[in-house]
Amino acid sequence: MSQINRLTGKGLVDHSKTVSFQFDGQHLEGHPGDTLASALLANGIRLVGRSFKYHRPRGILTAGSEEPNALVELRTGARREPNTRATTIELYDGLDAASQNRWPSLRYDLLSINQLASPVLSAGFYYKTFMWPASFWEKLYEPMIRRAAGLGYPSKQTDPDRYEKANAFCDVLVVGGGAAGLSAALAAARTGACVILCDEDFVLGGRLLSERGEIDGQSTQDWAKSAVAELESLPRCRIMRRTTVFGVYDGGTYAAVERVSDHLPEPPAHAPRQRLWRIVAKQSVICAGGFERPIVFGDNDRPGVMLASAVRTYVNRFGVTPGRNAVIFADNHEALRTASDLADAGVTVRAIVDPQPQPSATAEQVATETGALYINGIIDAVSGAYGIKSVRIKDAQGASKTIDCDVLAVSGGWNPALNLTTHLGGKPKWDNALSCLVPGDLPPGMRVAGAAAGQFSLQACLASGEAAGADSARDCGFSPSAPSRPAPTEDGSPVAPVWYVPSSRGKAFVDFQNDVAVSDIKLAAREGFRVPDHVKRYTTLGMATDQGKTSNLNGAALLAEATGRHLGAVGSTTFRPPYTPVAIGALAGHHRGKDFRPTRLAPSHAWAVEQGAVFVEAGAWLRALMFPKPGETAQETVDREVANTRTNVGVCDVSTLGKIDVQGSDAGTFLDRVYINGFSKLAVGKTRYGLMLREDGFAMDDGTTARLAENHFFMTTTTANAVKVSQHLEFCQQVLWPELDVQTVSQTEQWAQFAVAGPKSRKIIEALLDSGQDISNEAFPYMACGSFTACGGAPARIFRLSFSGELAYEIGVPARFGDGLIRTIMRAGAEFGIGPYGTEALGVMRIEKGHAAGPELNGQTTAHDLGLGRMMSKKKDFIGRFMGQREALNEAARAAIVGLKPLDPKMRINAGAHLVKRDAVANAENDQGYVTSQAYSPELKSFIGLAMLSDGPARYGEVVKVCDPLRDYETLAEVCSPHFIDPEGERLRV
Amino acid sequence: MSELQSLSAFDGVSAAGRYGNPNGTAGVTLTERANLGLATLEVRKGQTVALAEKVQAMYGAALPVGPVSASGTGVRFVGIAPGQWFAVSETLPNEDLAGDLATKLQGLASVADHSSGRAVMRLEGPAVRDVLAKGLAVDIDPSVFIDGAAALTNIGHIGVLVWRDDEAFDLTVFRSFAGSFYGWLQASAAEFGIDVVT
Repeated sequence: MSQINRLTGKGLVDHSKTVSFQFDGQHLEGHPGDTLASALLANGIRLVGRSFKYHRPRGILTAGSEEPNALVELRTGARREPNTRATTIELYDGLDAASQNRWPSLRYDLLSINQLASPVLSAGFYYKTFMWPASFWEKLYEPMIRRAAGLGYPSKQTDPDRYEKANAFCDVLVVGGGAAGLSAALAAARTGACVILCDEDFVLGGRLLSERGEIDGQSTQDWAKSAVAELESLPRCRIMRRTTVFGVYDGGTYAAVERVSDHLPEPPAHAPRQRLWRIVAKQSVICAGGFERPIVFGDNDRPGVMLASAVRTYVNRFGVTPGRNAVIFADNHEALRTASDLADAGVTVRAIVDPQPQPSATAEQVATETGALYINGIIDAVSGAYGIKSVRIKDAQGASKTIDCDVLAVSGGWNPALNLTTHLGGKPKWDNALSCLVPGDLPPGMRVAGAAAGQFSLQACLASGEAAGADSARDCGFSPSAPSRPAPTEDGSPVAPVWYVPSSRGKAFVDFQNDVAVSDIKLAAREGFRVPDHVKRYTTLGMATDQGKTSNLNGAALLAEATGRHLGAVGSTTFRPPYTPVAIGALAGHHRGKDFRPTRLAPSHAWAVEQGAVFVEAGAWLRALMFPKPGETAQETVDREVANTRTNVGVCDVSTLGKIDVQGSDAGTFLDRVYINGFSKLAVGKTRYGLMLREDGFAMDDGTTARLAENHFFMTTTTANAVKVSQHLEFCQQVLWPELDVQTVSQTEQWAQFAVAGPKSRKIIEALLDSGQDISNEAFPYMACGSFTACGGAPARIFRLSFSGELAYEIGVPARFGDGLIRTIMRAGAEFGIGPYGTEALGVMRIEKGHAAGPELNGQTTAHDLGLGRMMSKKKDFIGRFMGQREALNEAARAAIVGLKPLDPKMRINAGAHLVKRDAVANAENDQGYVTSQAYSPELKSFIGLAMLSDGPARYGEVVKVCDPLRDYETLAEVCSPHFIDPEGERLRV
Repeated sequence: MSELQSLSAFDGVSAAGRYGNPNGTAGVTLTERANLGLATLEVRKGQTVALAEKVQAMYGAALPVGPVSASGTGVRFVGIAPGQWFAVSETLPNEDLAGDLATKLQGLASVADHSSGRAVMRLEGPAVRDVLAKGLAVDIDPSVFIDGAAALTNIGHIGVLVWRDDEAFDLTVFRSFAGSFYGWLQASAAEFGIDVVT
């Protein structure tokens, strides 16, 4: 069996070359230019899938992206992709596709037994059936439903392909490359406007490729080809094939996905699989075409039932006939072309069935020409479960006739593909003459032309496209020439569509992809649903991945009839992006795996890697968590790093802290207002700890600020809040106090900064400094700062600050010297037993000192809570002062910071644990606070903790219960000062 | 000269060579611009006119208004915000530029050094706009993004300052992001081929 339904000498496929592919393991051949659907039809394959709910055998309904039935799993292994539409898959050599939603095989599918249960599986089935008992939902019903649901299966392996994003800008974006789109693009691009033309297909032309018409003496196919050639010759026109514009956003922004390599077995080296485009256009012309409507009748889903326009596409574009014996069932004259085209291709047209109330002379004429029977009647029954074998036709007089056929071409008229016009909230409006919804109010800069605007005839497409293209270019400041296309002439008065055949037997499907039948919509109407969006949710009509492109209006018509209203008054559902399904990979682009977000590396990173450091993410930064030695446990590493720093000297990269340069004659005043404590009186060459509050009185961030010169301060922030504080200062500068002479800029990245901490730290700093610079305790006391030169002339800033509680310095050099400096520090410190320490040891030492950090600055604590109430200046106003006076923020019972020492030093004080009185039951009523930080103190040889405890500072000495029900843990601890080590700070000042 | 080794932002990140598509001329060439003088200047209260005059006198450049840059003798001034410029110099390398600006513009602008804080690279070649379009949500058509035009925006979630210098684009990112940015660039330029020059 080899392409038995291929028509020789017809279509745009390359008959001279063959392409091999597989479907369900069967080896088949097609031609370049085929879609999977056309190649399957060429091989006489009509059965391609099973339906969602009832597992009914299904074939190919359409020839485009609106396909609801022919969904397949494409490719194998890691590239397997479910629910791809066979009608849009470009055939390539080696393509491997499989049908889905069937077991064990497409022909013998066990779950087709669901059809027998169809009276139960009606609209609202889940809501009605799985109501009781409620406890069954999570454990039984939901898992069961999930197993049975879904169509294909995605690969669970990592996607081996690359995806990327890109931006494009243009004067005029044309969406769709059919008659209207090509005309619009030509009219706009000829003016010199920058034009982007996107088309979802791999060949431009749209319906021009599918019809046997003429434009300007050329066949429509040739005209499309020459239009594309001209567009390609225009330097400011860009044609994007295989690109679906799937969403419209504010400001003339359009989202599109370009299937760069989907038509190839796998992406070529260095090429992405798909590319997500953000297109910003001053003007746009939507020429998305239209969707032909099926007529709803019993067993209208049998393989072989196909839209009349799709039949023409397969015949004229692909040179394939979907069958050898055809019946046409259409309520409009355009579909008669299908009979002519089939007859012309040598296919037998058995009958033309016309369901309109009155017989049509035109239709009768075409029937005569094509040798078909003309019957003014309806399709009463369809036989052939796996592929239609015959239809029973009932004429207006009630007489029945059975006609053998293998394809039934159906048309109930056309709907504009107006989806993109509604993404920004536009409501389609009902057109009484056309009996369909047409675009309503359009977003700024958007025009619609061709079938998408309800201009269905070829003439109208060409003329409306040209006009819209020219007008768009004009609105961008270009001068289009006068229109060349005459306005279309009316081709007779349109007739009312036939939505469905009421007398027909068998299940009559409205939404094929979600298996929604006429009976479901009628049931919904009986149960009181009147609004299309409600019916949609109740019946799932239009909720599948095709968003009801072939079913929405038929559903609305049925609803209108069932509720006794005019269809125009029923309204429509809302279309949302994406127009067709978009792979998550395309939306992620480059940002997957370790590129999910960028990583920031500290100046000493390469050196720390050499030392075998373990890293931790701190925001986007990677910081050294600890520097383990072989054989050590994590606890041993941290204990060693802490002990070595407290006895000898340690070094830690603190470059990641935010650093903000603050200058100007009002810099001091500015800092007075953002910090709770004063800075304008800080002496030059001194550093001060400061706390800043949010406007609501809660702590925002803390850090030290140094005064480098009269009008020059240097602020540090926590690593986590660096950006937030920068933004806050910008806000203060620009919005709150624009009158101040103050300038701020982030310098975080300019300075590589290292904390050198421990009793021997001064010796190392002295060794680094160029000669003649004095940092003795007298010349450079605790909290001093200054500019120096180090290591032979490198500019260095030194701050005598300590987070660890030991004698300590921070030394900063321009970041280009950072790597050199850490190596030099290590060399200089070798004789003093220097060791690097990571953020874990840093954390232990700050807990031992009772310094608040991230866990305490958690957005719920005030200066009082943090034990810093006395720092709040009474002589000045500052951000957060007023709101901080609120009563509840000043109650004694408020939780404030304390230290906790377990009665048994070996017992942990779990962070996150809650505190109750010693004898109280651990419940919410007795809750008195919570543990924020915990550590093991090698110096105290005990676990310790910091906690926020109600009236905490007044309760030193009291024993409380530390309760951690989550980890089923309790211990007793004594409340104490948070300053566990050297509370007087003597070590800092030596 | 300090005995400390000076490392550029791309040290250990990029290595010279041809990457991605190996065929034909590379679509884009990347050259790190190391050891540039980089500094911000922000006008002091009420000194806008005086600053512009002083910059004109000292550096021969008209301070631009808006997202555009102007070059004077040895220094390019890139507009990054109202009253704020990013100064770039080859002739006043590293910390020298900030020092020079601070001295000459004392009282008129606050100057901060960023010579170590940024990675600066030059991208050029026939596909440079196609590569940048994969991250830059700014119209860089030659008719829109004219010579000297600048944008303070982001690429791949990384803040970037970009300006056009004739047919080349100079990009600066925070130093710590150099590796991540280079990863984005490599991926985005792969289909065209990229020459990394050091």
